[in-house]
Amino acid sequence: MVDLFRIVINFISILAIPLMIATFLVWGFFKKVRVYEVFVEGAKDGFHTAIRIIPYLVAMLFAIGIFRASGAMDVLISAITPLTNLIGMPPDTLPMALMRPLSGSGSLGIMTELMKVHGPDSFIGVLSSTLYGSSETTFYILAVYFGSVNIKNTRHAVPVGLLADLAGALAAVFICRLLFGI
Amino acid sequence: MLNYIWFFLIVIALVVGVGKDINDEIRNTYRNGSPLEIIFISSQVPSGTATRCEGQFYLTAKQFNDFYGTSSQLEEVKQPVVLSLLQNKTGNFIFGCTEVTPVLWKDMAQSALVKDKLAGRVERIEFSDDHGWAKATIVMESIRFVKLKAITQAAIDFANIAVEIAIGLIGVMSLWLGLIKVAEEAGLVKVLTRLLAPITKRLFPDVPPDHPAIGAIIMNTAANMLGLSNAATPLGLKAMEELNKLNPKIGTATNAMVTFLAINTGGLILIPATAMAVRAAVGSTNIGIIIGTSIFAAGCATITGIVASKLLQRLPKYKRELMDDKKKSEEVNNG
Repeated sequence: MVDLFRIVINFISILAIPLMIATFLVWGFFKKVRVYEVFVEGAKDGFHTAIRIIPYLVAMLFAIGIFRASGAMDVLISAITPLTNLIGMPPDTLPMALMRPLSGSGSLGIMTELMKVHGPDSFIGVLSSTLYGSSETTFYILAVYFGSVNIKNTRHAVPVGLLADLAGALAAVFICRLLFGI
Repeated sequence: MLNYIWFFLIVIALVVGVGKDINDEIRNTYRNGSPLEIIFISSQVPSGTATRCEGQFYLTAKQFNDFYGTSSQLEEVKQPVVLSLLQNKTGNFIFGCTEVTPVLWKDMAQSALVKDKLAGRVERIEFSDDHGWAKATIVMESIRFVKLKAITQAAIDFANIAVEIAIGLIGVMSLWLGLIKVAEEAGLVKVLTRLLAPITKRLFPDVPPDHPAIGAIIMNTAANMLGLSNAATPLGLKAMEELNKLNPKIGTATNAMVTFLAINTGGLILIPATAMAVRAAVGSTNIGIIIGTSIFAAGCATITGIVASKLLQRLPKYKRELMDDKKKSEEVNNG
């Protein structure tokens, strides 16, 4: 069942982009859109959008980078570790949950390390890959998306993103314990 | 909020970094200037007045831990090293970090004079009669301000990475913005938005249901769920641009933007491809078991995000921030 689902979704993923390109252009062509000119017109914005996010991205990545490099992340982890026992989360996976919203490459490294040490099919292995697979790099998305339209006052976006991450991490612990519990 | 988080990330990083460096200095964590008795193993027979000699430094785990006052080294140390000896009595050594290098030495090498290489003096060396090994006394180069050096390096590295990421986006960004423009002109986006209007009307009440923003949001979410991150980011940025056209106060996030980001950062995905690829790489027998757990966890995160965005947007603090300055002053005058 899971395998069938995987095969179907993989198939859709592979087809999606060629299909979208074909549909957009063919549909446009028959609707008498000047496809080439319109495409170029739209693509012109690509450069400016990408350039516009640079200052926001620099601000965000550099702060997270020095936070990790200074060892402050380790201090934070050892401060929160006692709480993980309460919810039945192995302390080893805490860095994973904390790093995920901050840094994509950092959390990828932690997940790989955890699975190498404990085995990918151990409880810790399953939990860490679920934590990685079920979440996005919140702060990166905030920086890039808001940066692209020059938004500096993000209002409640950060608390909302962090609450969602917290709920996701708790849900991951819950479902992994339920299905592969220790 | 982002203001405070950003500021505190940096301040905490600097305080912790300085604190750790002072702590290292007081406890002399890296044993700067202390002589270390070590065995040098080499098959080469040193001769002449100036010799370059390759071999291994050998220490038992206990000797290593006793010297550095740690308990982390579990295996005996066999570190490949190059010596430059003067008359086979004194000289210098240098080694690069390999897989067998103790973690502590690797950390030290990060802020050594030559990055990733540790050097030092050979104070005294006595070769045994059969020349297979020698007793040596070495002093490592002094290692100081490890964390401050790491912070400096990280600041510069990550500034560069940010630009690399942004530049890397230009191509796919242009491709997708071009394609969407064609789809818009062809009226395709309108068809899509009309189909999902019942859902999007509730999620984004401030946005007209046939607005191009809705089309971009739908396509971005679909791309995210299929794991097409190359397409998802350009589509998401397109959605932000369209949402910003409805923004009454430029430079401030609207309710619709926050709800959209909540859906986006929730990370709803049908196939967690990266996590599964890593699982396969480290030898999992069942890489697919995380599909169900990931969908469940991401679903919980997304629902929480949407609910939180809807609730928090009602707080007076956040309501006031969105009002334009004219209204705000009117409100102050009235109240």
